[in-house]
Amino acid sequence: MTGLPVAAFTDPTTLFELFVSGLAKASLYAMMALGLTLIFGLLGVLNFAHGSLTMLGAYLAGVVMVTFTGSAPALLLFLVAAIVAGVFVGGVGAAMEVGLIRRLYDRPPIYQILLTFGVTLVIDELARIVVLFYGVQPTADWRTATQTKPVSMGESLDVLGASVGNLELFQIAWGVLTVAAVWAFLNRTRYGLVVRAGTEDDEMAAALGIDVRRVFTVVFALGAALAGVAGALLMWDSVWGASVPLASETLLPAFVVVIVGGLGSFRGSVLAALLVGMVDAVMTHVFDLGIVTFSGLSELTIFLILVGVLVVRPQGISGLAEVGGH
Amino acid sequence: MIAVFYFGLFAMSFDFISGYTGYLSFGHAAFYGTGGYFVVLVASGKIPLLPAGTPFMVSLLLAGVLAALLAVLIGTVSFRLSGVYFAMITLGFAQVLYVLMRDWDYLGSNPRDGVSVSNDLHPEGFEIGVPFVDQLSFAIGPLRGDELELLFLDFGATEVSYYMVGVVVLVCYLAMQRMVHSPFGRVLVAIRENEERARAVGYDTFRYKLAAFAASGFFAGIAGGLFAGYRRSVTPDNSLYFLVSGDALLASIIGGFGTLAGPLYGRLFDRTVREFLSKTGGGGGLLPLLREYVPTSVLDTPVLNGMTVGQGIETFLNGHAALYLGVVFVVFVLYVPGGLLGSVRDRLGGTVAKRLPDYLANLRR
Repeated sequence: MTGLPVAAFTDPTTLFELFVSGLAKASLYAMMALGLTLIFGLLGVLNFAHGSLTMLGAYLAGVVMVTFTGSAPALLLFLVAAIVAGVFVGGVGAAMEVGLIRRLYDRPPIYQILLTFGVTLVIDELARIVVLFYGVQPTADWRTATQTKPVSMGESLDVLGASVGNLELFQIAWGVLTVAAVWAFLNRTRYGLVVRAGTEDDEMAAALGIDVRRVFTVVFALGAALAGVAGALLMWDSVWGASVPLASETLLPAFVVVIVGGLGSFRGSVLAALLVGMVDAVMTHVFDLGIVTFSGLSELTIFLILVGVLVVRPQGISGLAEVGGH
Repeated sequence: MIAVFYFGLFAMSFDFISGYTGYLSFGHAAFYGTGGYFVVLVASGKIPLLPAGTPFMVSLLLAGVLAALLAVLIGTVSFRLSGVYFAMITLGFAQVLYVLMRDWDYLGSNPRDGVSVSNDLHPEGFEIGVPFVDQLSFAIGPLRGDELELLFLDFGATEVSYYMVGVVVLVCYLAMQRMVHSPFGRVLVAIRENEERARAVGYDTFRYKLAAFAASGFFAGIAGGLFAGYRRSVTPDNSLYFLVSGDALLASIIGGFGTLAGPLYGRLFDRTVREFLSKTGGGGGLLPLLREYVPTSVLDTPVLNGMTVGQGIETFLNGHAALYLGVVFVVFVLYVPGGLLGSVRDRLGGTVAKRLPDYLANLRR
């Protein structure tokens, strides 16, 4: 117990800092979960391999940045790395859909979970082999190697007396941009309309002459690409970094966000990411203050949110009421 | 091989709920871990009212009961959901438990590394058998436990452990077998096939599911208790983590989803592949074999960026069984939905025990 807990929460600067770090965490969570939501919304497949795809993205972006570091401003390089990660992981996703998942649409949904779970095992182990062979782990090496972020990212800005990390601002900006881009894709483009039609009723969409199979592949690739880009962003964060266990570390929060938001609901996922991010920030703060000495606090509360929401509102924040009956 | 037994039992209990009712319990590790932690904590005297000297069989049984109670609690909340949602909420509960046990400092100075039974409190291994009857109890444990001479047979400590763990697993298997083939088990299958119809016929499906979940939790708790009792330690990552449930899933799918004995074979397969691909282990394995028989000239041939064949084999085979198991798993999900045992049954047209004699007789004719 240090200091007065109440005072630590009523101070406006602290509150503001908390809010910003919550937003930053929220954008990370949103990035992790967006692809998952997209895939589940249209295909009804809960992609267990999503975390592994994120992990792939983190490594890929790391490799790009480490190889070309110094040849261009770090920020530009990051953009390139994120695009490379997105494109490559998107390709992996497309291959997965065409090669494996497509065969299972007419089976019970459990089989799709099983299949993607198997894919996770394969990807993780392959990554482990490659990492072992090229000696990029132990993590210490790789962590410093991926600290390719410009020095200015480590500094913090002074906003109205509160100090706000540059990296946090960057994460927020990146998250907001991605969310906006996906939203615009879904709501402002013709293809997005097709995707939404497929989400609502794929049989009807097929009857209207839309090649639903191709739409499925594209969306799966897109979801995977989002996972890859998320990986690129996570690589820079000091809490996450690039490592093989990143696969399951990001998979679980992504599930929480997607489920809490209501499976397949884009808006719900964004809201849930905000909720989870804010709670995470507050809980981390509570732990930092020493009010609670339980070190797994923020992780614990995330899962408690999942359980709580499912108990009170099984369909999630903005899910459809009758989705539960698969 | 003992690992095949206790984990096989866990996989069976997982299959009991998921294979028979169709509800994917992705947080089944919660019960396994509960059993494991309970047994070790009792042995360390950290559970109130239960002294460190409590017989292992008693604490094992209590571990099962505790896991069953937990299953009832989780089940009451979770069975309002189905499909993906059910899998997720059970996963959520299991993760809550995982984080709790990982970071709770009551358990030990470093809960992340798990808890173990100290050698001061229990110099001997845990005993399986009839409690308080010394002649009918045999200690188990790696590198410890009773040795036994029976008629002209000599059993070493490992063999005694093997058979004693095996006996418990066999008893549990028979009990589950009995439940599956009772009217109760039929209702479970009815729920899997078409829950609404089962409800329409007049079964209170919620209660059946809950009962099945509790029973499954009980046996998972026993399995976890056996595991911890044999190993004398338990860590959050090898008992409560969600990938442990994943391993059970792997065993069930490969062995045969919805066949009670299947997971045991699935686990056997899993262990065999792992053993075969590991550098250590008593069973030989692929790596020493290749080292012995492949000529050095081949081993030193460069393939890719200066990586030689030998290095390639090192890299791709040593301890990376999960890769190949994953591939096998995917293939099974896609092409062999019945699993090993299920496919054999399909071929024979009935359970192996019933059909094999006829089949062999046909072959002979």
